[in-house]
Amino acid sequence: MEKIKVVVIDDERLARDILKNYIHEHPQLEIIAECQNGFEGIKVINEQKPDLIFLDIQMPKITGFEMLELIDDPPFVIFTTAYDQYAIKAFEVNAVDYLLKPFAYDRFDEALNKALEKIKSNSQAVETITAIDKAMDETVEFLERIVVKDKQNISIIPVSDIIYLEAQSDYVQIVSRQGKFLKQKTMKFFEKHLNPQNFVRIHRSYISSISNIKQLQLLEKETYKATLTTGEKLPVSKTGYSKLRQLLDQ
Amino acid sequence: MLNPIFQNRQYIAVYFALWILVSAIHFSALHLIIGIELYPALADSIFYNIFYSLLGLSFWYITKYISFEDNKPFRLIGNHLAAAIVSSAIWVIGGYYVLQRITEDDLIYSEFLFSSLIWRFFIGILFYTIINALNYTLMYYANFREKLVKETELSSLVQEAELKTLKYQINPHFIFNSLNSISSLTISEPKKAQEMTIKLSSFLRSTLSKNEKQLTKLKDELHNTRVYLDIEKIRFEDKFEFIENVKEKFLNIEIPSMLLQPIFENAIKHGVYESIEKVIISIEALIERDYLKLIIKNNYDPEAVAKSGEGIGLKNIAKRLQLMYNQDNLITTSKKDGIFTVIIYIPLSNGVSDGKN
Repeated sequence: MEKIKVVVIDDERLARDILKNYIHEHPQLEIIAECQNGFEGIKVINEQKPDLIFLDIQMPKITGFEMLELIDDPPFVIFTTAYDQYAIKAFEVNAVDYLLKPFAYDRFDEALNKALEKIKSNSQAVETITAIDKAMDETVEFLERIVVKDKQNISIIPVSDIIYLEAQSDYVQIVSRQGKFLKQKTMKFFEKHLNPQNFVRIHRSYISSISNIKQLQLLEKETYKATLTTGEKLPVSKTGYSKLRQLLDQ
Repeated sequence: MLNPIFQNRQYIAVYFALWILVSAIHFSALHLIIGIELYPALADSIFYNIFYSLLGLSFWYITKYISFEDNKPFRLIGNHLAAAIVSSAIWVIGGYYVLQRITEDDLIYSEFLFSSLIWRFFIGILFYTIINALNYTLMYYANFREKLVKETELSSLVQEAELKTLKYQINPHFIFNSLNSISSLTISEPKKAQEMTIKLSSFLRSTLSKNEKQLTKLKDELHNTRVYLDIEKIRFEDKFEFIENVKEKFLNIEIPSMLLQPIFENAIKHGVYESIEKVIISIEALIERDYLKLIIKNNYDPEAVAKSGEGIGLKNIAKRLQLMYNQDNLITTSKKDGIFTVIIYIPLSNGVSDGKN
């Protein structure tokens, strides 16, 4: 029988140790790698395609959730964390289970059995990724940073550095101080998850940071243009204009 | 509230001394200016004034029940006018009957007494006005004092409560992560698990007991910091290093308890948690003018984007220092070249309020 490939991702050695210890009790499992952070995790998962990962949430650089967002074909996930506030979100992303540190061997076993069943029944883990989007859509929490992947490079864009966003077919182009990035999300998503005190949807295809708008110009009847501090000019729709006026009048 | 005149003997003495003075003026005016005989003038001045002095004491109740707050101006004036007229009338007519009995044979005085009734009535109104004005003043002054006392009490209560909420609270994630490390060590390195359990207990014990008081010695704070960092060291191993540069002579200086803990937790959270590189955390103590200056530094990954929750611990410290020492800007923070620096100034002498009464 082929062994089930497992990856352990946690920044603390002792946390990885106990997981490895528990996993070793199951000969049908094989630990193919252990990772100390999300970057290593992405690399290993994309290259070695494990069946199951044990994933910590709070790690250096990027969180476990952010890491999952960047994986095209995510495996089954069991979260391991001391942070119980993430439990709801974890279930929303279709995690197999959520282990609260410190956890007992029995509890670990229970989670593992759930995972094994799913692996056996060959159900798709792919649904995880769409579920992440869904979960993010439902939690009305304003973003503080956006993680994007461009081939091999992973960039973390602080929301405060974003100048504007532009809709581009299936993607949204993020224009920030560090450059331009593509993210597979919708304008609607960003409109909802960027703090409306700092960002405004000025046009069907544009969301602009308010502090970067330098000037509003009337071009012709009911057509406006916003000049940004960077010199770029963005079209402003009628509703966008009234939203901006409202914000500026406050 | 009782008539404030009865509140102490001195007030009673002053009140009656004033009436004796009024009687003396009254007597002088009758005897020396108008030329009334000694005996009737004496009787007149003594009786009328004793009568009013007693009547005047009862005005307190009038003042109390005809307050500015509960009465419209017209009603207030009307009530007082009626009370003034009635009390003066009682005073003048009562006095007249008694004095007439005593000085029956003195016709000149009798005639004077009768003709002066209308003037006495107006004097009665004047007395009424003066006494009520004084009563109002006393009443509002007493209320004002009471309010002031209550306000100070309240503000010290609020301050105490505020200081309590600003105090350090154990970070549950730290506890759970530490327990997870212990759980792991029990399998691989039981000796180390025991060491960590003891350190964690020591940290918890001192944190719980220190939160009872507002001030503690620098050496106790540093000890606590060391225990805390030792625990984190077991978790994070070589990911950070702690450098302590505090001269022995500073160790007995008192500083707010659990002041350093949130700062070091911050250093761990934003330095060690977020960084893949090794982090150096240091503390240095200096005396600068009348302050103990504590400098805490840690390097951090400048690329790590701050997540929410940053700075709440520091804001609480700032607020707490402000409340305890009544001075602003006792804590400053700066980020430069990948190094996060916190500088705290602790005023060395006086001005330390314990927050507890």
